[in-house]
Amino acid sequence: MIFNKIKQLFLTMVVVVAIAACNNDDNEPMMDDDMMGMEDDGMMDDDMTGMDPDFSGTFAQVDFMGRPGINTTLSAGGDIKDAHNVAIPSEMVATFQADFEARLEQYHDVYAMKLGADPADVNYEANILGLDAATLTTVLAADVLEVAPDVPTTYFNPGEDNDGDDNPLTLDGDEVALTGRTLQDDIIDVSLILFFGGMEGNRFDGNNGTPQLTSDGVGLTADILTTFPYVGDPE
Amino acid sequence: MKKTKQIFVGLGAIVVATAIFIAADHIDAPSSMGTTADIADFFAFEPTEGSDNTVFVVDLQSDVLPDLAYGTFDEDVLTEINIDTDDDLVEDLVIQAIPRDGRMYFFGPATPSQTGLSSQVLTDMPLGDVEISANTAITETTDNGVSLFAGPRQDPFFFDFFQFNAVIDPDVNSAPSGFLPPDEAEDTFDGANTLSIVVELPNSLLGTTTATNALGVTVYNTWVTTNRKQ
Repeated sequence: MIFNKIKQLFLTMVVVVAIAACNNDDNEPMMDDDMMGMEDDGMMDDDMTGMDPDFSGTFAQVDFMGRPGINTTLSAGGDIKDAHNVAIPSEMVATFQADFEARLEQYHDVYAMKLGADPADVNYEANILGLDAATLTTVLAADVLEVAPDVPTTYFNPGEDNDGDDNPLTLDGDEVALTGRTLQDDIIDVSLILFFGGMEGNRFDGNNGTPQLTSDGVGLTADILTTFPYVGDPE
Repeated sequence: MKKTKQIFVGLGAIVVATAIFIAADHIDAPSSMGTTADIADFFAFEPTEGSDNTVFVVDLQSDVLPDLAYGTFDEDVLTEINIDTDDDLVEDLVIQAIPRDGRMYFFGPATPSQTGLSSQVLTDMPLGDVEISANTAITETTDNGVSLFAGPRQDPFFFDFFQFNAVIDPDVNSAPSGFLPPDEAEDTFDGANTLSIVVELPNSLLGTTTATNALGVTVYNTWVTTNRKQ
């Protein structure tokens, strides 16, 4: 990645990041004097009384993540994003659902202007799962990533076109969803479809004079391993 | 929230015109972005079909943009994988990871000393520890079948972030056709790295769960937090 390109395109981000970095001086890793001379045997050893690392203290939550992209996309501003990161899931629907729904409609207003349309005329439409804006944002506000112990993992797999409508995205009984998130799952495209796809998943798919808003066109580029730890060496 | 409504998940992408961000969780909020505690991403999956294990991948920090904190795990940051097994969205189990002197120490899965925003390290429930890797992965497998890793890895997230910003640009002439076709789109995260913490453990260590997803499938509800020493 070329710095100048990023700087040109994302000056705002760079500036904000720079500020964050400047404020980060007190976050440098600390060495623990108690660690001096600790034997490097691969496992903690209770027999090494007095030489175990010091894990004492209280730790306060500073960042949170459940499902990919929830806070970054649906929290409308820095204050809400910060609040989401120090929230707990059991309170998130009550705290964030209304803001998330307003945000969802705001996205459609922004894009209406691109289409030369009245923002009042371009609104979120219930998606392939039949979820209206209030329901979708209620689901998403409870921001946890489910993982099934006994079922193959997929963020969303529409399955085959069992109903013969030439559209595998429409529900026809063999969908699998919410059983986890693999390294390969295209969560961006799934999210775009839920956001902009409407009931058929193709409301804004680049055809019939619509912009392409249901796929960003990219797939996995990182090296994935078949064995632990599953992700490739750094580049 | 009604269970039947818990069907889906996932928005990855849109944002208001003036806000610049990177999904999935990379650099998501003013207070955490670019810090050593910034969560970049979170994955939870079955390693192979039919496996009795679950894998958790937590990515911290990123070098996708310059000037971000990247490359060293912070000894003041406790990473916690939270697991809810009874569908009340409160953690019943936690798996903790914290670095000391070049090693990553893991604790749990065990009931936390308290739920919510404040944590202590479960020092009486050690899971194991592993040397923090450099470029080549060093892994540790414990006697009870748990695999551990901590170190830099490729960032597996993929997203045409540059085009996304063009799409959300309020300028009516910016990306009027939306995202690019596959032969023109580019994965912004191609070549980026992150600091990964990976734990694979038998489901027996997580116990049974009564939580279900919207399709009635039995699941663990999981989320990850970073927590800074006070």
